[in-house]
Amino acid sequence: MPVGPFGLDPLVWAPLRLVIAVALALFLVLNGALLQIYLERKIQAIIQDRLGPYHVGPFGLLQTFADAIKLIAKEDVRARATDGWFFVAAPALVFCPMLASWLVLPFAKDIVGADLNIGLLYLVTLGSMTVLGIVIAGWASNNKYALVGGLRSAGQLISYEIPQILALVSVALVVGSLSMIDITRSQPGPLVNVLVLPFSFLIYFIAALAETNRTPFDLPEAESELVAGWLTEYSGMRWGTMLALSEYGNVTVVSSIVTTLWFGGWQGPGVDALPLLGVLWFTLKVYGVIVVMMWIRATLPRLRIDQLMSFCWLGLIPMALLNILVVAVLALAFPDTKIPIAIASWLLVLAFIAGVPFVQRRRLALLRARASASAVRAAS
Amino acid sequence: MTVPLSFYVAVSAGLFFIGCAGVLTRRNAVVILMCVELMLNAANLALVAFSRRFGAVDERGSVFVIFVFVIAAAEVAVGLAIVLSAYRNRPVIDVDEIHQMKG
Amino acid sequence: MGFDFVEPVIFAVLAVGVIGAGAAVVLLNRITASALLMALSFLCMAGMFVLLGAETIAAFQVLIYVGAITVLIIFGVQFTKQGGDRSYALFFQKQYPIAAALVAAVAIPVVLFAFSFNAPAPQPGGGDIRPLATSVFTDFAFAFEVASVLLLAAMVGAIVLTQRDERVEAARRRR
Repeated sequence: MPVGPFGLDPLVWAPLRLVIAVALALFLVLNGALLQIYLERKIQAIIQDRLGPYHVGPFGLLQTFADAIKLIAKEDVRARATDGWFFVAAPALVFCPMLASWLVLPFAKDIVGADLNIGLLYLVTLGSMTVLGIVIAGWASNNKYALVGGLRSAGQLISYEIPQILALVSVALVVGSLSMIDITRSQPGPLVNVLVLPFSFLIYFIAALAETNRTPFDLPEAESELVAGWLTEYSGMRWGTMLALSEYGNVTVVSSIVTTLWFGGWQGPGVDALPLLGVLWFTLKVYGVIVVMMWIRATLPRLRIDQLMSFCWLGLIPMALLNILVVAVLALAFPDTKIPIAIASWLLVLAFIAGVPFVQRRRLALLRARASASAVRAAS
Repeated sequence: MTVPLSFYVAVSAGLFFIGCAGVLTRRNAVVILMCVELMLNAANLALVAFSRRFGAVDERGSVFVIFVFVIAAAEVAVGLAIVLSAYRNRPVIDVDEIHQMKG
Repeated sequence: MGFDFVEPVIFAVLAVGVIGAGAAVVLLNRITASALLMALSFLCMAGMFVLLGAETIAAFQVLIYVGAITVLIIFGVQFTKQGGDRSYALFFQKQYPIAAALVAAVAIPVVLFAFSFNAPAPQPGGGDIRPLATSVFTDFAFAFEVASVLLLAAMVGAIVLTQRDERVEAARRRR
């Protein structure tokens, strides 16, 4: 009779393992959210030349803890006109896909929940399930602002899924596998994929900022727009789950994807000797990406919904398609080497950065022409 | 003890006929679209069940399922577009009332 | 011994989910509830695909059906005012007995017939994405191209159908 680890009966170990895995993931999500809320406030404060939280605990480290206690202790307000089951179920619909996507994140050489051979596809699938929760939240609140905010957010999310998936596909093209461990292994040492596919990284990073509702794409949830949008009616721990935990959990998942695909995942000096060191490198890289996202939040202004949508459909998607075309053709033409792909990708990045002023100038000229035409029409 | 194939086919048949009953009896256009989706899903289940049980290396059933996904998505998009544009003309969603072309 | 009971139990739960949610879609009065239960039916269906060993198809099922089609349907529900179903009763309509008789007459024999399929023992392996992708892009490449043209046509068609005609709108506003 087979004996599981710690001498346990396998019949007991299998459900126990499931419970431990979920508890561990929840633990990571909760602590990650706590840490990230604190980091966000501190980083924004430093960039905006002020202090940030410093009262509660040394350097204000316990501030988020205090906020969490306040949220849990808050009264659970539920307006009578909200739609019963849906109002209660929406936070779960937003939170659960995010929790489930922690399954395939590779923390170190042997530390991964499950090495699915469709790992990337699984992550993409779970990302698309969040949209449903947001639409239901907007609908169930029985509030015009929430409804419009929910629909706007859903539109933004499903639009930006497309460049996200296309960028991931280009990486899968080069690596030849969808498994997260294979992708990490395909980046030997310092030759990380960002040197080979920087354009995909750029596209995915921008699309991921929009997918997680971070500035400059945070119109649906910003407090100065639409009365906080689709979560207007949510307060206390419901808001805490939907906003803080889900959003920061999503940010962590997206940063983990970026780290695994473009920055070598758990690799770093010393991992061959001590595999557990991989967890440290992975966490450092993930938080590096997160700090960059927070830096962007503190620096850039917000996009309007029509600017957001036209940037996606008229800007990112053509670029993502061009990227896939170039990568696929070069991968087929030069199957053994990655250098042509790297050269082409860097050229595309340079073209993008150099081309932005041209596009902006042309659009400004168009707007000016339209404005003067309507002024002439109004005057005559 | 694995589940025998016939159970999967029975579930598929049951779901198909539930969808069928929905299409025949409901009057709301969007609900009819939903029931059509149920029917397509039932077909997918039957395809995958046969493909996986009658030969693990014969992927043709699963490939067909992918094409059915594509067609279902396209059909829902165009169906909803038709419903919305008909709704814009006359704001009714009841298919019994949309009979301008009759007679 | 051991874990043998797990698969039939999970299948039973998923089957109840699929059929129950499907029945609820047909029978419930509230459309948003119908839409969400349809999503539940799709999720249980994805579970069944996993049980059959086709994980890639399960992932695609969730991605396309739950992630996209359900959202489309909910958008459709919210852009149309759903008062219409209340003017008639849901049950005891003229066509119900006929429809029920027809469906039952066809359904019951078919379901009973479905129970008679026998398959050899399932072989392990397969269901990978690599053989699937190889099939789609080599054996069925033409069908793949046709499917992409179909999607393009559907996209363009949906946009064209729902575009507001400016002259009609201006005329309506002037009226």
